[in-house]
Amino acid sequence: MKGLIFDIKRYAIHDGPGIRTTVFFKGCPLSCWWCHNPESRSPKPEKAIKTVRIGNTEFRREETVGRYYSVQEVMAAILRDQVFMEQSGGGATFSGGEPMMQAPFLLALLKACKTEGIHTAVDTSGIAARAAFRRILPFTDLFLFDLKHLDDQKHREYTAASNRLILENLRLIAESGVDIWLRVPVIPGYNDDERNLERLRLFIKDNQRSNVRRLSLLPYHPVETKYGRCNQEFKLTDLEPPSRERMLALQKAFESTGIKTTIGG
Amino acid sequence: MKIPERVQQLRAESLNAPEHLSAERARLITEFYQSPDSRELSAPVKRARAFEYLLRHKQICISEGELIVGERGPAPKATPTYPEINLHSLQDLDILNKREKVSFKVDEAVKQMYKEQAIPFWQGKDNRSRIMAAMPPDWHKAYSAGVFTEFQEQRAPGHTVLGHKLFRTGFLNLKAEIQERVERLDWFQDPEAFSKLEELKAMDICCDAIIMYARRHADALEEMAAQAKDATRKRELENMAAICRRVPARAPRTFHEMLQHYWFIHLGVVTELNPWDSFNPGRLDQHLFPVYRREAEAGSLSREQAFELLCCFWIKFNNHPAPPKMGVTAQESSTYTDFALINIGGVKEDGSDGVNEVSYLLLDVIREMRLLQPSSMIQVSRKNPDRFIHKALDIIRTGFGQPSCFNTEAIIQELLRQGKDISDARRGGASGCVETGAFGTEAYWLTGYFNLPRILELTLHNGRDPRTGEQVGLQAGLPDEFATFEHLVQAFAQQVRYFADIKIRGNNLIEQIFARHLPAPFLSLLIEDCIQTGRDYNAGGARYNTSYIQGVGMGTITDMLAAIQHHIYEQKTFAWAELMAALESDFREFEALQYELLYCSPKYGNDDDNADRHAVRVFDIFYDAIDGRPNSRGGVHRINLLPTTAHVYFGSVTGATPDGRRAGMPLSEGVSPVQGADRQGPTAVIRSVAKLGHLRTGGTLLNQKFSPRFFGEEGSYEKLTALIRSYFSLDGHHIQFNVVDADTLRDAQKHPELHQGLIVRVAGYSDYFNDIGEKLQEEIIRRTAHE
Repeated sequence: MKGLIFDIKRYAIHDGPGIRTTVFFKGCPLSCWWCHNPESRSPKPEKAIKTVRIGNTEFRREETVGRYYSVQEVMAAILRDQVFMEQSGGGATFSGGEPMMQAPFLLALLKACKTEGIHTAVDTSGIAARAAFRRILPFTDLFLFDLKHLDDQKHREYTAASNRLILENLRLIAESGVDIWLRVPVIPGYNDDERNLERLRLFIKDNQRSNVRRLSLLPYHPVETKYGRCNQEFKLTDLEPPSRERMLALQKAFESTGIKTTIGG
Repeated sequence: MKIPERVQQLRAESLNAPEHLSAERARLITEFYQSPDSRELSAPVKRARAFEYLLRHKQICISEGELIVGERGPAPKATPTYPEINLHSLQDLDILNKREKVSFKVDEAVKQMYKEQAIPFWQGKDNRSRIMAAMPPDWHKAYSAGVFTEFQEQRAPGHTVLGHKLFRTGFLNLKAEIQERVERLDWFQDPEAFSKLEELKAMDICCDAIIMYARRHADALEEMAAQAKDATRKRELENMAAICRRVPARAPRTFHEMLQHYWFIHLGVVTELNPWDSFNPGRLDQHLFPVYRREAEAGSLSREQAFELLCCFWIKFNNHPAPPKMGVTAQESSTYTDFALINIGGVKEDGSDGVNEVSYLLLDVIREMRLLQPSSMIQVSRKNPDRFIHKALDIIRTGFGQPSCFNTEAIIQELLRQGKDISDARRGGASGCVETGAFGTEAYWLTGYFNLPRILELTLHNGRDPRTGEQVGLQAGLPDEFATFEHLVQAFAQQVRYFADIKIRGNNLIEQIFARHLPAPFLSLLIEDCIQTGRDYNAGGARYNTSYIQGVGMGTITDMLAAIQHHIYEQKTFAWAELMAALESDFREFEALQYELLYCSPKYGNDDDNADRHAVRVFDIFYDAIDGRPNSRGGVHRINLLPTTAHVYFGSVTGATPDGRRAGMPLSEGVSPVQGADRQGPTAVIRSVAKLGHLRTGGTLLNQKFSPRFFGEEGSYEKLTALIRSYFSLDGHHIQFNVVDADTLRDAQKHPELHQGLIVRVAGYSDYFNDIGEKLQEEIIRRTAHE
């Protein structure tokens, strides 16, 4: 079995507790307008151009984004940093793209991690079959669960998919007892209106006594150049990121509902 | 804890005092050597009498508000010279006065004295002349070509640290020990009995001299007390006078006596000669804790009082810039810092957790004083609590570079491997930049930096220096003749061995010159077992005697070899002729090739075995050429891997290299990756670096740079602590941190006046950014910063 991976990042310190290695799966069923990793969308390897200057000369190199890895290969990469994971209470995070799009491969990796005693986190948009989530639950220590929008109509508009299945899966995980860190991107003018934020607050409140341990507010970053590099259309041209003050205010508002809230990671 | 008013004052005076030369010591030592009294004396007795003469006639300097007294020169930052070691010419004095970095003001009176007294007397008779005349031509060739440097050329060997014994005894006891040893001299069996007698006599003279010097301070303090108007200060001065009458003659009983006791000893060491790394109280928290606790329990010392005394003690170190260095020595160690490195934490002699209340007190002092000197470090044992590391991170995050972090378990294993007793090993630590030593029992001399990339450059030119055309190394073949990569490595190993031989032969000569001409009877009193062996510190009297050669450019040479193997022998991207032409032209017209070298080659620091295996190989070659080879003092040579500022100097004499580095650019420093070549984050760096045999060295140096932003995040202390502990669990020796943005450094280059207090970690020490050379500034900016 092989999986399509576009990056393995060591010393990932924003993808769960401790020092982690994050494995980025390639391919995603959503196409969020603000996506930070446009190169992760297509479920196939693709070409990208990298440029470097030396003095006055510019060098361009074509690189392939995405490579098929065996479970052993990914595990070998993860195990390189096992000492740091153990010292810091870290582990491995599977992100993307959408790791659930390659659920059997993900499951194999999660099992291999548990055999090695490595803490596992799955960073997911929640859009996958319930059965797939049921299968990985026993081998997952933490879900980093992305919630883009609670309004189904808007969700469809900005991400090209309904949020129904996403919310169902979130409930499934919440009931299972596995820890959840909610991750909410803050995209000014798109999902940071009072109505959506209020619904989010209510949603968190409903799940307060459950295992939703933390809310991470991820401020939007302009990523237009990345789109250019892989020839994709960027719809949020000129959108300014939220101010620091705005993020702090949001953090405060959510903290007051009793959930631990962080900015970033 | 806040710095008391008086300390603020003293601190400001210390920071504002200009570094300047004092002619006092040069005048006194010349007077003594010219006097009839100095004739017909054995070398050790002559040195002891000289020491006594210096301490008898040296001006006493006591600053307003001080609690710890004694200055090396007649005023703070007044820096003595040592013409018997290295005579400065008038031109040298001019350079020192005028040079842009690490300058010393030299006034007319100093020049006058040099012109009329010092130069006429010492010309051609100083130790440097002796050494240079004794070195064979191949040594001079390699030295001039920048293959290695020579530590003892302008300064005396020292490289040692005070151990626990001297914190528990006084010089009257040492006199008794000497007397007892003299009585035991074996006039029937021991052919060296007379030499031993002379050495012991010399040591005895030094005991009296240091006691006399302390009493001169007591006299001065009593006089000041008599005239003091303020009643509180009067009592203070009387108390200080009483302390100077007690120590260092007798064992110190209180916290205050301890610090004053050490300080007289320190002054003795740096007045006798100009040893490298000045001198060092070593495991200060361990030494001070018993008296601190006793006094705290008795109610005679509050934490505030102890803090104030330590602050005053700190200022004394900062008042002493390193003795002026010239030429290559100035380039390899371009700083005012004189490397007294205070060790905090680690384990006790019984192996248990050594962190105590004084450890935390010292960290408070470091944070509040924020002085370059003394340097400070924490010894991190797996037995120490995280709280201790976090407390150090409180200081590190402010971007001050101090304290650096050392692995206690590694230090102990390094010492045990070298054959030290477990108690001696646990009482040891690191001094200077990162050098492992058994404190109080070992003379571990650094002898010079060794330019590994330069040797590979010479290897690629069949031993010929491409800069001068001179044959410096062996004729071990031209690149075209290296049919395989292994052939090249073999040729390189041969050249390393060749230069190691030259260096070691030179070292042994120099060690014998020091043993014969410049014994150090005062220092010999401090380091066991000089009294018992009746031998001088400079002649192998210490319990352990080690000579180090410090490899430089580990990252650079690894990337050089990795690129050669990858492009020439494996991928065949280009041939030797093309690479050599590119190097010769410094990549002009060869940008595409330079691009391949820089961006399409395996690089050390990314946990990539294709690069890292070359680091391991070079390490083994260097180690095999040096480790275990006898020195002149009954000990052996060892290696360590640190650069101070030699990576800049060595880079300046090394042409373009196959890792894509342009000619003249600095080499990598310590065991750190080439600046900017590490692209996988700090865990990959640590894993790469940990592949080296740290435990087979006497110290390695790893620099890491973090953005200040990192510390703003939740959990940053825990993560950094985990990085440190992980590195140490992999047997890493040392890691230190710069916490600064490149933008800040760029701005400081443009507007130095706005960044006068900006301090950065260089390599094994911190320095003011404004005080370091532009090349070094650029090198630090290029280092990878982790978020």
